[in-house]
Amino acid sequence: MANTNLYQSLSLIVPEIVLTIALLVLVTADLIFHKDKKSIPFVALAGILLTGYFTLIQIGNYGFAFQTSASAFKHYGMFASDPFSIFFKVIVIVSSLLIVFFSFSSDEIQKITDRIGEYYALIFGMILGMYFMISATDLILIYLSLELLSLSSYVLSGFTKLRDRDSEAALKYLLYGAVSSGLMLFGISLIYGLTGSTNLYIINSLIQSPDVNLFTLAFAVILIFAGIGYKISSAPFHFWTPDVYEGAPITITAFLSVASKAAGFALLIRFVKTTFVSYTDPNGMWQLINVFDWKTLLISISILTMTLGNFSALWQDNLKRMLAYSSIAHAGYILLGLVVFSDQGLKAIFIYFAVYMLMNLGAFLIVMLIANKIGSEEIDDYNGLGFTSPFLGVAFTIFLISLTGLPPTAGFIGKLYLFIALVDAKMIAVAVIALLNSVVSLYYYVRVLKHMYLTSPTKDTPAVSASLPNTILVSALVLATLVFGLYFSPVVDAAESSLFILGL
Amino acid sequence: MINLIYLTVLLPLLGFLINGLIGRKIKNEKVIGIIGSGTVGIAFVIIILAFIETLALPVENRSNTVELFTWISAAGLNIKFAYLVDQLSLTMSLIVTGVGFLIHVYSIGYMHGDKGFWRFFAYLNLFIFAMMNLVLGDNFVVLFLGWEGVGLCSYLLIGFWYDRKFEKGTTSQAAKKAFVVNRIGDFGFLLGMFLIYFTFDSLNFKEVFSRAESFPVAELTFGLIALFLFIGAAGKSAQIPLFVWLPDAMAGPTPVSALIHAATMVTAGVYMVSRASIIFASAPAVMMIVAVIGLVTAIMAASIGLVQNDIKKVLAYSTISQLGYMFLAAGVGAFSASIFHLMTHAFFKALLFLGAGSVIHGMHEEQNIQKYGGLKKYMPKTYLTFFIATLAISGVPGLSGFFSKDEILWSAYANGGFVFWLIGAITAMLTAFYMFRLVSLTFYSKERFDHHHVHPHESPAVMTVPLMILAFLSVVGGYIGIPKVFSGEHGNLFEGWLEPIYAPALAKLATFGSHSHLEEILLMAVSVAAALSAIYFSLYVYTKKLQIAENVSIKFKGIYYLLWNKYFVDEVYEAAVVEPIQKGSEKLLWKIFDVKIIDGLANGVASLVESGSGIIRKIQTGITQFYAVVMMAGIAFALLWLILSL
Repeated sequence: MANTNLYQSLSLIVPEIVLTIALLVLVTADLIFHKDKKSIPFVALAGILLTGYFTLIQIGNYGFAFQTSASAFKHYGMFASDPFSIFFKVIVIVSSLLIVFFSFSSDEIQKITDRIGEYYALIFGMILGMYFMISATDLILIYLSLELLSLSSYVLSGFTKLRDRDSEAALKYLLYGAVSSGLMLFGISLIYGLTGSTNLYIINSLIQSPDVNLFTLAFAVILIFAGIGYKISSAPFHFWTPDVYEGAPITITAFLSVASKAAGFALLIRFVKTTFVSYTDPNGMWQLINVFDWKTLLISISILTMTLGNFSALWQDNLKRMLAYSSIAHAGYILLGLVVFSDQGLKAIFIYFAVYMLMNLGAFLIVMLIANKIGSEEIDDYNGLGFTSPFLGVAFTIFLISLTGLPPTAGFIGKLYLFIALVDAKMIAVAVIALLNSVVSLYYYVRVLKHMYLTSPTKDTPAVSASLPNTILVSALVLATLVFGLYFSPVVDAAESSLFILGL
Repeated sequence: MINLIYLTVLLPLLGFLINGLIGRKIKNEKVIGIIGSGTVGIAFVIIILAFIETLALPVENRSNTVELFTWISAAGLNIKFAYLVDQLSLTMSLIVTGVGFLIHVYSIGYMHGDKGFWRFFAYLNLFIFAMMNLVLGDNFVVLFLGWEGVGLCSYLLIGFWYDRKFEKGTTSQAAKKAFVVNRIGDFGFLLGMFLIYFTFDSLNFKEVFSRAESFPVAELTFGLIALFLFIGAAGKSAQIPLFVWLPDAMAGPTPVSALIHAATMVTAGVYMVSRASIIFASAPAVMMIVAVIGLVTAIMAASIGLVQNDIKKVLAYSTISQLGYMFLAAGVGAFSASIFHLMTHAFFKALLFLGAGSVIHGMHEEQNIQKYGGLKKYMPKTYLTFFIATLAISGVPGLSGFFSKDEILWSAYANGGFVFWLIGAITAMLTAFYMFRLVSLTFYSKERFDHHHVHPHESPAVMTVPLMILAFLSVVGGYIGIPKVFSGEHGNLFEGWLEPIYAPALAKLATFGSHSHLEEILLMAVSVAAALSAIYFSLYVYTKKLQIAENVSIKFKGIYYLLWNKYFVDEVYEAAVVEPIQKGSEKLLWKIFDVKIIDGLANGVASLVESGSGIIRKIQTGITQFYAVVMMAGIAFALLWLILSL
């Protein structure tokens, strides 16, 4: 590999380098300040802000890093920096930033101050994994980044060790993760055996030739999908989600439900687009290589995912668990954006994710603030809370309405663009099913409101008030949810300009 | 200042947010009042500066668009949030912020001591915000946003005293009535917008109107669009058959009646028709409908006004009647005359309402004019300003109302024919009569109130100063629109100012018959004479010989009864629309369709969902081995599918 190539490659992974340095600084700082760890969260905060900055200045600097030496495919590398990856990286880093803020005031995290350095170091491990996942164009790198993310997540989900269920969750997560990554590796090895390459672009050009064994290829892809499907918690790989979400500290639950999911989706989309799309026609429709009836399979999975998610959420009494199922349902909706196989669908996914990040993190934040005070996430403990804690009550209402997808909130815009994409692709029946699913979701979201507002407060109903920083944080999220519901062109424009996926 | 026009929208919004969010905590009425009126006052100053700037521009550059951001962009639909600053929108916004500012100031005095003081100012500011969007919007969507916004504010303010009784019901019933009737109009407006988008592929004013000139569109399409838009306008501007909400809207505080239900909001329909003049001009049949509806509304409302005893009711019917005039003008193609009358009417009708508010204030909330009398000596300032406004609305030469009304009557004659003029002139006569009846019964005649309980007093300066300013405007406001007959070579300034807006529409109509000056002066003399004699007769009857009025009402008992009950329109609606709908909804829709079919379906589906979710939840056993099995089964299933599909 020539030096110029290496230098160019390094310039493309500056955000990842910054992340790695920040991770090392965190670990070192943890050792140095082992008496007083008050400064550690701020080191983490600085690291995230720096990474965010370097991610943003990466806009415009696009290309492949670590290009292969095989002469015929010289311009394809292991790592792609493109508008698509920047968008997802921004989603990841913004949610990381919010999670750090959440951690500042989370009771659960306050109790483990002595291990706070590890906590943040592991979060950085997760972010690093996600960053590579979003940009990876090589099966080996895909697998490595997935494992980096997963291993950090396993530890974090049982990190607080406050309750038995935490360790149980972590163990389940680990076991389940091991199974799915085993399946995925199997799939990868099959593909390597078929094509002799791990680079997605090379695989793409090879499978366009007529003499590929389509059956084996399709089987391999299904196995790989098992690995990715587990990350985005799509059915039938979603079983870990409710247990882990309920058991993990709430900050980690929120992080898993947004950032980890975003990275998983980014990987899925890039994998599908670079491996199985031969070209994009002028209307923005992706023309698939005829391997297997992807569309029907993905439609079935997404409908199954949202239906299972919504129906299971109906009677959940624990809000974290309810939000876990709701996030499964949302993964189903987002998957529909991929199913249309068009630029418009991708745009809808971008918009949905930006919106989903705001409203979902907002909802988790409220649950966390209330749990800080009352030490419970049970829905019955929310009785009358809307009257005693008007600010949080109203904010929660707005987030839940947005999660349902009703105007004038951002959630409506997310669903609107998704449904437009579906209707434009003549998938009316699917759109109707998704719509009916949102109707079902209305029930369990509004059920919370019923407990908060239609039950009169008693003497014991606690008044939960947020501290000033939290008030600002909640207000910012509420405001963003409302503003993007009315004035959404910035999000749409950003999504529009991030459609480009490198290669092909 | 043109580029800063968005401030005139944002400032009232800011006022709304401050008063609405923390107004309850401010507690100091002065601060709330200053925030409320100050924001509108500054907006007014900005509009004046923008107006001066526009005046300095050559005529062809006077229409400017201030783009803020792209609001909705999806597929072919592209809607910008942009404001159009041109002659028409400037005129409207001058009225809205100018008169609005005076009414805000007046309200500081009128609402003094009310427990909802902050709420009142918050709503009032929100109203100005919505109204400015309505008049400044550069496309139908922003206009509609404002249109719905003012409807909401109207609803909120009619029901402002939600705990008070109003006539047979409550103020919230009145508010609901206004809202529901307006919805009917809005429905028409929406249909019109859909059809515009369908036909012209845009909702932007400039694009739609230029395409309306050039596209080959069938007259029927134009007719439908215009008709739908007019239904919307009729709802908002209280025309037949949708006028019934306006008299009930008087349940709101009097400054609200002055601002929303006289000077600004109710004129939104007139503005919209005038803005879309080219569409209306392309549909001659609908123009005729507009003119006839305006005319009939004018005379019908005026006749009801003859016998009403509630001071605000009289003014409400008078407003409906004057709005009818404006539509008459628009319907005969005299768009600038309709806006001119809109302006002068805003001055004198706001003044009349505020004067009435001052009287009500001084008479301890009494609104029945039969229980007034001789108030002239107790409230001299209110009397004087009220009197000036009455002269103006009655069309006495030299005051603003004379010029605008005369222009409408002349256009009605020139483009519509003698009958139009005649009915218009009779309406003018009736107007003069009932207005002087009101003045006589209130300020002259003998005192009929209970001296022990009621001690009439003049209102404070914060209320009377706005009255005087409006009185001044009611006198001189007409001089910018002196008809050509008198002003000679300069022509009608107001008409000249608005001319570029209507040029395409007028070119299409191009049917202004040529009439001699002599004819115009003759007709003017006749209508003035009629109005003056009506004034004299009214003064004579209601100050000297009240007996005559009683005799007439006994002699023409049938007519009197008819008028007193407002032609039974409310009752007819009740019997023909409300009652059948209620019965139908109760017997058929509720008891059968809703309870049996919908509820049955919904409950059935819900229990299906419930039991489904019960089964699904059982899958989540919590046992990891089981999860792994299901996962493998999923993969096996996909594999099976794969095999089958090969």
